[in-house]
Amino acid sequence: MKQDAFSKLHPAVNLLFFIGAIAFGVLLQHPVYLLAGVLASGAYYFMLCGRKGMKNILLTIPLFVFITLFNPIVNTRGATVLFTYFDRPYTLEALIYGVVVAATFVLMLLWFGCYGKVLTGDKFTCLFGNLAPSLSLLLVMVFRMIPSLLQKAKQIIGVRSSIGKGITEKSSIKDKLGSGMTVIGVLTSWALEGSITTSDSMRSRGYGTAKRTSFMVYRMTKADWILTAVMLALLGVIIIFAANGGMNAEFLPERNIVPVNRSNIIGFIAYLGYLMIPTVMNIKEAIQWSISESKI
Amino acid sequence: MEHFRIENLSFSYPTSEKKSLDKASLKIGKGEYLVLCGKSGSGKTTLLRHLKTVLTPHGKGSGEIYFNGIALQEVDNREQAAKIGYVMQNPDDQIVTDKVWHELAFGLESLGCDQKTMRSRVAEMACYFGIQDWFHRDVAVLSGGQKQLLNLASIMAMQPEVLILDEPTSQLDPIAASDFLNTVRKINTELGTTVIITEHRLEDIFPYADRAVVMDSGKIIADDTPRNIGKLLFEQNNHMFTAMPTPVRVFYGTNGSGDCPLTVREGRAWLNKEFETEPEIKEIPCKIIGDDIENPALSLKELWFRYEKDTPDILRGVSLEVPSGSISAIVGGNGAGKSTTLKAVCGICKPYRGKIKIFGKPVNKFRSGELFGNCISMLPQDPKSLFVKNKVIDELSEMAKDKNRINEIAEMCQITDLMNNHPYDLSGGEQQRVALAKVLLTEPKILLLDEPTKGMDSFFKETFATILNKLKNQGITVLMVSHDVEFCAKYADRVSMFFDGQVLTTDTPQKFFGGNSFYTTAANRMSRHIFKNAVTAENVVELYRKNKGGAR
Repeated sequence: MKQDAFSKLHPAVNLLFFIGAIAFGVLLQHPVYLLAGVLASGAYYFMLCGRKGMKNILLTIPLFVFITLFNPIVNTRGATVLFTYFDRPYTLEALIYGVVVAATFVLMLLWFGCYGKVLTGDKFTCLFGNLAPSLSLLLVMVFRMIPSLLQKAKQIIGVRSSIGKGITEKSSIKDKLGSGMTVIGVLTSWALEGSITTSDSMRSRGYGTAKRTSFMVYRMTKADWILTAVMLALLGVIIIFAANGGMNAEFLPERNIVPVNRSNIIGFIAYLGYLMIPTVMNIKEAIQWSISESKI
Repeated sequence: MEHFRIENLSFSYPTSEKKSLDKASLKIGKGEYLVLCGKSGSGKTTLLRHLKTVLTPHGKGSGEIYFNGIALQEVDNREQAAKIGYVMQNPDDQIVTDKVWHELAFGLESLGCDQKTMRSRVAEMACYFGIQDWFHRDVAVLSGGQKQLLNLASIMAMQPEVLILDEPTSQLDPIAASDFLNTVRKINTELGTTVIITEHRLEDIFPYADRAVVMDSGKIIADDTPRNIGKLLFEQNNHMFTAMPTPVRVFYGTNGSGDCPLTVREGRAWLNKEFETEPEIKEIPCKIIGDDIENPALSLKELWFRYEKDTPDILRGVSLEVPSGSISAIVGGNGAGKSTTLKAVCGICKPYRGKIKIFGKPVNKFRSGELFGNCISMLPQDPKSLFVKNKVIDELSEMAKDKNRINEIAEMCQITDLMNNHPYDLSGGEQQRVALAKVLLTEPKILLLDEPTKGMDSFFKETFATILNKLKNQGITVLMVSHDVEFCAKYADRVSMFFDGQVLTTDTPQKFFGGNSFYTTAANRMSRHIFKNAVTAENVVELYRKNKGGAR
């Protein structure tokens, strides 16, 4: 499987990035910052998933509209009343706040979508292997179990239908339920049976005879360290500006948004720069590749 | 000094009166390659499991086992884990983690090795076993052969002194099996690791083993070099003789003179010596089958199929006719689409082009349920996937109500004394028989078998073939797909070659295997320079007798 430039970094660097991106995505409610977040996450998600990803990105639009319009119905605070219905006010401030909530939600969805693509299960367990070896092993075993159970279920269903015990369009609901229960029953005993072998295999390879260590396939390279330093520096700048109120925005009951101006533009640049790291890395790699290709 | 010394080891499982091990004594030297053979249920696995404390089954036992001169119980588990490697039968269930690299490191992680050691050991093993290419893959996408190789590699990463393998290739196809066994041999010769192995496929390991030990009902009945073991079993008229490599069976079958050959090469040399002048009779008579089959039980025309829209076609114009009341076999490489063909016949896969006719009637004209009610039925590759109940008798009752019929079938499949067992507690061969009985209770006219001999010992293969012949005499049509060329050569009426998504040729086993020079049986490879169409050990013996008049 081809990995994008950012995914090739050490999982710890990946994790640090997502913690920063998601945390500030939620904390900063300033519309300009939200817009930057949505754009950056959308761009990176598109890079990771390609055309399939575009479909998912477009799907967030109706969600965005829905949350925006729905918020004033729940939340009636706000100074400017647009209209009233059933004696309830529908306010402009709540509507704007709805935009903010919706944007935060979309941004989170997109970042978590990227997170799932970049920090796959094995990378995550690898990260925490040393902290909680047993827990991470348990997770790894669950990751392995799910696809194998699904495959076995498929096999059993196929086999059942090849001896005339399968379900067809004409089977009654009772038959379908019964057949489903049978498959689940078989899967359970199959899994139990298999787990005996697995535990034998684990003990036979010394499980529990010593304190477990954890094999790291990933190593922190120079590039990883440099990027970590850059990320930490940017996060520092963002925090300083945020603490000084340069990114404040209040919506309810009254709008009070600090404008982006010369005094706090550096904070915004730092934030945007931080979010664009994966995208920029990918673009850089693509350019480098095409240059080296043209030399061949 | 010997590696293992087993003294008077007896053992019985708590639920059984029978002794699984009966005063077994054995010495295993350092760097030896030892084959342990015996029928299923003769106590091989029980003996092997005693060689590692954590795997030792619960039950009553007596006797002593010494590892490097120290009583095994005294050796701590950590040392045992590192020094005694144990590979089990099922490739899938032995794997613990979800990634290849993680599995390779699992043992080292358990032993608490540091990063540096782990790194070099894992790298070393990945290279030695040729795993680099799939190092980062998910375990789920590996083939059975790759999985078993991974199991072996992850144990070798701990650098064991002894490697114990319990029927490691029983779930693999012949090519993967032979690759695996070659790797084991390489480990033994290049690293000097002591190897103790039980195996049904003796053809591949017998010639290379230093010593063969034969077990029967918990007793060690023979312990000698492979060459002598062949002689001993033949003289005792032991049923294990059927498991011997083809050259050995031919040699004793013909009452030959000289040294007993073990490999095909030795077999050829021996036949050369026996027939210095060309023999008069070079062929055994066999039927010629025509291309036209009247009223075929099953006819496939130009089937095309692929699993997903944008994956390559698996079936690329499969055409095949199966005459009724015969045993037909389809052989061919792994993943060629043999099993998919059977699935297409059963309607598990729907071909997007082509016609399937069953007894002249297109398969889509069958009403639902009609196809499987006494018409067609399939025995799956893994008999376990058929079992849904807690008792064998319940399994059978699920398929039919008629008590007499159940008893009849159970009798035929020889499972009458297993009726109250849990299907999972049975041995592989027994499971296969129960599964067959269950399938037969649908009263099929066409029986489809998917790799029926996988994991069977040679003794049970014969029983199985007898059952198939009985079915054939009752007029049932049998179509099997198999890797087992020896079995197909011996028992099938017609053999078809599957290649590149198509059935290429169909012929009698004599003609089919007699014409091939690589994809053929050991008997044919051994005798093809003298005889024209001898494809089984029996064929060779028959021709030998005809030429030499039966006696020397």
